[in-house]
Amino acid sequence: MTQPLLEVNDLHTVFKTKDGVVKAVDGVSFELNPGETLGIVGESGCGKSVTALSIMRLQRPGRIVGGSVVFKGHDLTKNTEEEMREVRGKEIAMIFQDPMTSLNPVYRTGWQVAEPLRLHHGWDAKRSMVSAINMLGRVGIPSAADRARDYPHQFSGGMRQRVMIAMGLTTTPAVLIADEPTTALDVTIQAQILDLLRHVNREFGTATMLITHNLGVVAGMCQRVIVMYAGRIVEAGPTTDVFAHPKHPYTWSLLRSIPRLDAERHEPLKPIEGLPPNLIDLPEGCAFHPRCSFRVERCSRDTPRLQPVGDTQRAACWVTQSGVELKGA
Amino acid sequence: MLAKYVARRFLASIVVVLGVTALTLALMKTTSGSYVPGIDLNPALRPEDIARLRADLGLDRPGWQWYATWIWGVLHGDFGHSMIDGSTVWSHVADRLPNTIELTGTAILIGVLIAIPVGVIGALRHGTKTDHTMTVVSVAGFAVPQFWMGLILILVFSVTLEQHGLPWLPSSGAYSAVNGGDFFDRLEHLVLPATVLSFFYISTWSRFIRSSMLEVLSQDYIRTARAKGMSERRVVYLHGLRNALIPLITLIGLELPGLVSGGLVVEVVFGWPGIGKLAFERALQYDYTTVMGVTFFATLLVVAGNLLADLLYGVLDPRIRYG
Amino acid sequence: MIGPSRVAELDMPGAAVETAAGRPAQSYWNESWERLRHNPIGMAAGVLILIFAVIAILAPLFSAVLTHFQPQSIDLAATFRPPGSTHMLGTDELGRDTLTRLIWGGRVTLGIAFLTVGMALTVGTTFGMAAGYYGGWIDDVLMRFVDTVLAIPAIFLFILMSILIHPNAISLAAIIASVGWGNVARLVRGEVLSVKQRDFILATRSIGARDFRMMFRHLLPNVLPVLIVAASLGVGQIILIEAALDFLGLGIQPPTSSWGNMLTNAESYFYHSAWLVYFPGIMIFVTVLASNIFGNAIRDAFDPRLKT
Repeated sequence: MTQPLLEVNDLHTVFKTKDGVVKAVDGVSFELNPGETLGIVGESGCGKSVTALSIMRLQRPGRIVGGSVVFKGHDLTKNTEEEMREVRGKEIAMIFQDPMTSLNPVYRTGWQVAEPLRLHHGWDAKRSMVSAINMLGRVGIPSAADRARDYPHQFSGGMRQRVMIAMGLTTTPAVLIADEPTTALDVTIQAQILDLLRHVNREFGTATMLITHNLGVVAGMCQRVIVMYAGRIVEAGPTTDVFAHPKHPYTWSLLRSIPRLDAERHEPLKPIEGLPPNLIDLPEGCAFHPRCSFRVERCSRDTPRLQPVGDTQRAACWVTQSGVELKGA
Repeated sequence: MLAKYVARRFLASIVVVLGVTALTLALMKTTSGSYVPGIDLNPALRPEDIARLRADLGLDRPGWQWYATWIWGVLHGDFGHSMIDGSTVWSHVADRLPNTIELTGTAILIGVLIAIPVGVIGALRHGTKTDHTMTVVSVAGFAVPQFWMGLILILVFSVTLEQHGLPWLPSSGAYSAVNGGDFFDRLEHLVLPATVLSFFYISTWSRFIRSSMLEVLSQDYIRTARAKGMSERRVVYLHGLRNALIPLITLIGLELPGLVSGGLVVEVVFGWPGIGKLAFERALQYDYTTVMGVTFFATLLVVAGNLLADLLYGVLDPRIRYG
Repeated sequence: MIGPSRVAELDMPGAAVETAAGRPAQSYWNESWERLRHNPIGMAAGVLILIFAVIAILAPLFSAVLTHFQPQSIDLAATFRPPGSTHMLGTDELGRDTLTRLIWGGRVTLGIAFLTVGMALTVGTTFGMAAGYYGGWIDDVLMRFVDTVLAIPAIFLFILMSILIHPNAISLAAIIASVGWGNVARLVRGEVLSVKQRDFILATRSIGARDFRMMFRHLLPNVLPVLIVAASLGVGQIILIEAALDFLGLGIQPPTSSWGNMLTNAESYFYHSAWLVYFPGIMIFVTVLASNIFGNAIRDAFDPRLKT
C-alpha cells in the first residue's frame, strides 16, 4: 500500500449566515493516491465544492473548524497563508466550472497561463511564455503560439477550459482538482474535455479529483468514487462496485434517476422524492432519511457512520450495515 | 473599423457643436434686445454712435447671418474679437485656459490618486468601521455645496489664521500681484481651490471604485487567481484593479468638460482667472464673440472627453469592439 | 414558438389581463415599503425632508408665531446682530432676521427643487415612453436629440441661460430641468423596451388596446419604480445646482431670500459676522444630505438588485 498523496481527515467547514451556521462540510475523510482519479459526486449544495476549496484553503467566507488535510506529510490547515500560496497552483492546481468567467478578461491567455511559472519558479517572461505555449499545444489548442496572444473572449467555451487545464498543468502539480469542469459545456465538448483530463492523468501522472453531479462522467473517468450528501460522505468505493451494487439508498436512488444503457430490463426512471435538506437545520439521525424509501425507525434517531459494507465499499447506512440488500420496487 | 467608428462619432460631434453654439447665440439674441455690448463703458455715446457700433458688430443683421459669418470665421481659425475690449477671443482663451488646466488638472490628479486607494480599501474592508467612516465622508462630500465649502475654507485658512497672526493661505487669484508668480507662490494659491474640487472628485470616484471593486472581487477569475497561489496584493492590484478601473475611465473622461464648467463655481469663489470665470463675466456683459468662443471650446471638450473615454475603454477592455 | 404564456394569453379574458398584469403587483409596493421601513437611517432622512417641507409650506405661520419677523422687513438699527434672544440666528447687513429668511428661503429652494423634478420627469417620461414604445425612426430621432442635450456642458449652460433669461422661480426650474430630463428619458426608454417584451403587453395589444391607453395604463405603472428612484436621487443634485446659481446672482434675486443668495455677499461678512456664512450653507448641506440618503434608501427599497 503506497502512502496516500492527500489525506483528508474529519474535515469540518462552516459558513456563518444571517439565519444560522451552515455546516457545508461535516466530518469528511478520504484519501487520494498518487496518479489515481477520484470522483466526488453529489447534488449541488452537498458540500463537494467546499471540500475542494477547503483543501486549497480558499473556502472564504467559510471557516475550517476541524480536521486536517495532510498533503505530502504536511497538514495544510496548519500552514500559514504564505506557505499555502506555495502549494496553490504549484502542488495542487484547480480548474473551475465556468471557463467563461474563470479567466481574467483583460489579460492575454498566454500571459495568464504563464503566470504560475513566473510566480512559483521565478522564470522570466520569455522562458515562461515558451513553456506556456508548449502546454497550450499539449492540451490541444491549435496554433498555440498565435492563440497565446488572444484574449479569453476570443476563445470558445471548450477552448477556454483547455486553457484553464493548461494553466493548472504548467507547474506539473501533483494534484489537479477539477470542480465540475464540463458542466457549463456542450455535450460533445464535454466528452473532449474528459478525454483530455484522462490523457493528462496518464501522461503527467497527476492525481485528479473530479467533482461532479454527473454520474456518467464518474463512470468513465474514475477508479474510485465518493458520494456526498448534506456535507457528509454517504458512500465510498471502487466505481464499478458502487455502480453495480450501491450500498447507500441515496446512491441507489441517484443511479435509478438517470437513464442507463446497460439496464437489464426497461425500468422507469425514478426521480428522488423530496428536496435536499436545509443545511442549517439538518434532520436528526441520517440526513437522508426523510427521502429514503428503506428507512427504519433507527434512521431518524442515530447518525450512521461510514462503515465497511461488503468487500470493497463503505457506506453510512443502518439498513445496509445490517446486511440488507437494496432492491427497489 | 476603429477609423470608421471615430469618423462617425466625429460627424455626430459636429452636429452637437453646431447645435450648442446656435442655441447659445439664439439665447443671447432673444434676451439682449437692443443692448449693445460695451455700451456702459462710455456713457457719452450718442444714439448714432450706438447705431454705428451695432452695425460694426453685425448685430443689426439677423441671427442666422451673424452665425454663418461666425462659423465661416471659425472654419478659418478666426474666433473674432471680443466685443468688450477688442482683443482676439483666441488670446483670451489662450490666456485663461492654462490657469484652468492647472487647477482642474491638479484636482483630477489628486482625486484619482486618493480615490483609488480609498475605494480599494473600502472594498477590501467592506462592512468594517474603516469602510463605514469612508462611506460617511464621501456621502457628505456629495452634499456639500462647492461654493460654500470654498467660503468656509477661506474663512478658516485665510481669514481666521490671518487674524491670529498665523501663516495663512491666499484666498484668491492664481498668484500674488506683488513679487509673486514663482512656483511656490502659485502652489500656495492652488491649495484651497484644488482642495474643494478634488474633494468632490474623491467622494464620487472612491464610491465608484469601491462598488466596482466589490463586484470584481466576487468574480470567478479572482478565485482562479487565488487558486494559482498569488499573494492577495497581486490578486487585488493586478487582477482586480485593472478590471475595476475600466468603468472609472468613463467617469474621468466625462469630467473633461469640467475643465470649463465643473471648475466654474470654484473659479468664481476663489477669483481664479480661469476660462470658466471668463465665460461667466463675459456672458454677464453680452460679449457675444467671447461667449461663443468659450462655448465652442467647452462643447468641444465634452465631445472629445466622451470620445476619449470610449476609446480608452477599448484599450483597457479587450472585449470592446467598435462598430 | 407558442410557449405556455402565449397560450395563457389566449385563454385569459381582457379584464383579467388588465388588472392582473397591468401594473406591478400590489405586493411589490408592499415589499418595497417594508424594506424602506426597515432602513432607519433612510426613514430618518425622509422624515427630515418632510419636516423641512412642512416648515416651508407653513412659512408664513412660522414667521408670525415663532420668529415674529417678516423675511423682507429691514431694520437698519439692528444690522449684523449676532444670534441672540430676539434674533435667534442673528441679522444680516440690512437688519433682516436670518431664521425668518432661512425658513422662507427653504420655501423657494424646496419649491424649485420639486418643480424641477416634476418638469424633468414629465418631459423625460414622455420622450422616453414615445421612443421606447414606437421604436424605429421615432426612437432614433428622439434619442439622438437626447444625446445632444446630454452632451451640452450642463453647468455652463445653466449659467448662460440664467444670465440671459433673468429667471423667476418657475423659469429657473425650467432651466435646470432642461438638461435633467435627458437622463430620465434614457431610463424610461430602457425600461419600456424591456416591459414591452413581456407577455401581458402582447396580450393587451391582442385585445386591441390603443397606443395612448397602452402607454399610460399599462407601461407607465411599470416604469413608475424607476421614476420614483430617479426623482428621489435627483432632488439633492437640483438643490445644489439651484443654490450655486443663486449664489452667483443668477437665480432667485434679492430681496426674495433663498439659501443660495443669502451667501452671495458672504465674503464681506467674514471678519465680523461669520454666522451669516454658516447657517445657509448648513441648511443646504443637511437638506441635500437627507435627500441623497433618502434617495439611496428608496433605490435600495425599490430595486434591491442595485444595492451596493
